[in-house]
Amino acid sequence: MLIYRGLSRISRISKKTPFGRRWLPSHPLLSGASHSAAAAAADSSVKVLGCREAYSWSLPALHGIRHQIHHQSSSVIEEQLDPFSLVADELSILAKRLRSMVVAEVPKLASAAEYFFKMGVEGKRFRPTVLLLMATALNVRVPEPLHDGVEDALATELRTRQQCIAEITEMIHVASLLHDDVLDDADTRRGIGSLNFVMGNKLAVLAGDFLLSRACVALASLKNTEVVTLLATVVEHLVTGETMQMTTSSDQRCSMDYYMQKTYYKTASLISNSCKAIALLAGQTAEVAILAFDYGKNLGLAYQLIDDVLDFTGTSASLGKGSLSDIRHGIITAPILFAMEEFPQLRTVVEQGFEDSSNVDIALEYLGKSRGIQKTRELAVKHANLAAAAIDSLPENNDEDVTKSRRALLDLTHRVITRNK
Amino acid sequence: MLIYRGLSRISRISKKTSFGRRWLPSHPLLSGASHSAAAAAADSSVKDTDSQEQLDPFSLVADELSILAKRLRSMVVAEVPKLASAAEYFFKMGVEGKRFRPTVLLLMATALNVRVPEPLHDGVEDALATELRTRQQCIAEITEMIHVASLLHDDVLDDADTRRGIGSLNFVMGNKLAVLAGDFLLSRACVALASLKNTEVVTLLATVVEHLVTGETMQMTTSSDQRCSMDYYMQKTYYKTASLISNSCKAIALLAGQTAEVAILAFDYGKNLGLAYQLIDDVLDFTGTSASLGKGSLSDIRHGIITAPILFAMEEFPQLRTVVEQGFEDSSNVDIALEYLGKSRGIQKTRELAVKHANLAAAAIDSLPENNDEDVTKSRRALLDLTHRVITRNK
Repeated sequence: MLIYRGLSRISRISKKTPFGRRWLPSHPLLSGASHSAAAAAADSSVKVLGCREAYSWSLPALHGIRHQIHHQSSSVIEEQLDPFSLVADELSILAKRLRSMVVAEVPKLASAAEYFFKMGVEGKRFRPTVLLLMATALNVRVPEPLHDGVEDALATELRTRQQCIAEITEMIHVASLLHDDVLDDADTRRGIGSLNFVMGNKLAVLAGDFLLSRACVALASLKNTEVVTLLATVVEHLVTGETMQMTTSSDQRCSMDYYMQKTYYKTASLISNSCKAIALLAGQTAEVAILAFDYGKNLGLAYQLIDDVLDFTGTSASLGKGSLSDIRHGIITAPILFAMEEFPQLRTVVEQGFEDSSNVDIALEYLGKSRGIQKTRELAVKHANLAAAAIDSLPENNDEDVTKSRRALLDLTHRVITRNK
Repeated sequence: MLIYRGLSRISRISKKTSFGRRWLPSHPLLSGASHSAAAAAADSSVKDTDSQEQLDPFSLVADELSILAKRLRSMVVAEVPKLASAAEYFFKMGVEGKRFRPTVLLLMATALNVRVPEPLHDGVEDALATELRTRQQCIAEITEMIHVASLLHDDVLDDADTRRGIGSLNFVMGNKLAVLAGDFLLSRACVALASLKNTEVVTLLATVVEHLVTGETMQMTTSSDQRCSMDYYMQKTYYKTASLISNSCKAIALLAGQTAEVAILAFDYGKNLGLAYQLIDDVLDFTGTSASLGKGSLSDIRHGIITAPILFAMEEFPQLRTVVEQGFEDSSNVDIALEYLGKSRGIQKTRELAVKHANLAAAAIDSLPENNDEDVTKSRRALLDLTHRVITRNK
């Protein structure tokens, strides 16, 4: 979908600011299981969910056009940005600050802190990246600089506060992971009670509480009660989402609406509300704050939907090569939900549960016959486009840093749906 | 010590306001091991014409507490039905503890009542007063939520401990629910805190959560030296027990728009009350409802938690330290420790320390700005009464 829009506007590329386009050069659009779907779509006009235009194109031709574009408008196209590198330095500072905070004060929580480091490295610090990019993307220049020193001080002050939001977000995120670990540990080590196990559980809970309290103190220091409310609500959402997952009735488990609501709570709420907080700290209008929120929300949902797919496909195009951890834990995700729409008999299998691994095989069979994977990818693309649309709707700003950051944010909407691990 | 002061001022009782005295009528002052001291004091007891009828501090705020409890209960159960088992725990705590913390906070709220000096309009004044009261009740709710959340999270450890090797679904669900229920309460506390739109208050109560964690971690991770250190023990006790009540008392004062000095007095009251409470708790774990040692539940020492009485005994009998370092999984070590404790003045010294803190708490109330309003004086006397009850209780 991303490239549909891009194609329709190729002729207009050179007439608009590079910022105003959603098109991004030379990215493979869809990977894995939906490759066939892309080929199929390529052959005919397609009205894809949420896509406002419909036209026909084909992949081979696409490649040609892509290179053509690249050649024609090289004066307009900026070099390919790695969103993560734009903010890498800042992230190191944040990570260091966070680490020292957790370890120094409560030495025995070091083992839990280690977990935190791991997470920080493993996740490419996705959330803080988004937030720092958003902060720059919403950069409000002081219109009448009184004095260079004053303007810099204000800008620095604001930046520090926004970095604080990124730190708080990480603290809340890791706290929830630490607590989830307790739940998982109890599950996987059932019947084996070792002292390490016990210390691990308690430390995990305590460490999570500690991070949460630090987050609250940091929040308070921002002296912005709307921001405090936003992020406090996130904590509540995380708990609600986890509880929803634990306590589903049969109907709820098979409901796409329930699933999307739970996914919002568990995954997207944190990023959406912290994006909004970034905007509020920057003194932006309510409309802009909502756009920031929408970006975060749709990015988060897209991310989770692809996560669901990858759990089945892994890095290959075939089903069943992924870790299948969701389904083995009895967590019914979007691909299965879509498959159930096509094959109602799959619901019976789902209701039996998946402790019997033969049921997993049956479910995979149905899934393979259905368009569950493809539909999930399509839904992810829809949300990625909504996120991109939010960035496009931001008030125009010709500052170089601003446009770079906005393009990086657009790039992220692309990366979340093309990643294969 | 409480009665020493009372005795020394008996002749002056009738000349000062009843509020200004720390002496409270007709309470057996010290129970258990120091009964003899109380009996001596009782023989020279004084009939005070100024003494008010005996107030039950809990009854002063009973109605408000019911409202708070109902609000909290419905919130946990209605919103997250599956957390009902954890909610049950919450009810138990609420009943068992006589809702001590919320009582203190509501009394403090009244005790610090700042009358609007120039009432613009009766309606306006009432609305403001109601608004303030609601906010202060909110502090009490938040405090309970934080307290119960910490208890629920502590439960996670206990379950793992006691059911080692037995993995049942209930065990797993119990842990899960305990963690989630605690998180739920914490998140509700955060949202409620945010709604107060007072960042200093948010900071205070967020710090409390941090202290609770720190205190629990201190207890889990003591080195041998730390376990035998009275300073370390008092610091841990502050974090685990007193920080919540002290900081929420301070929050009550801040919401009431009181000065920093008054806020500190409120803090001091809460802190010293909390410390006194815990020290007596330590004693009761050994004595129970009797005067004799060893009739209490002895749960602290059996869990290897070294409390004030043992710490004091160790000062007198250094050889006790060796026993302590061996640990108490062997119950014969428990008996040895009890023997040393009985020979020492460990119990008495702990009680004396508790009385010292109770008096500091009372002194804080005495130092509050004068206020002749009837409700205010009633509440302040109730707060004083509490400083007495924490040290005279025997269960």
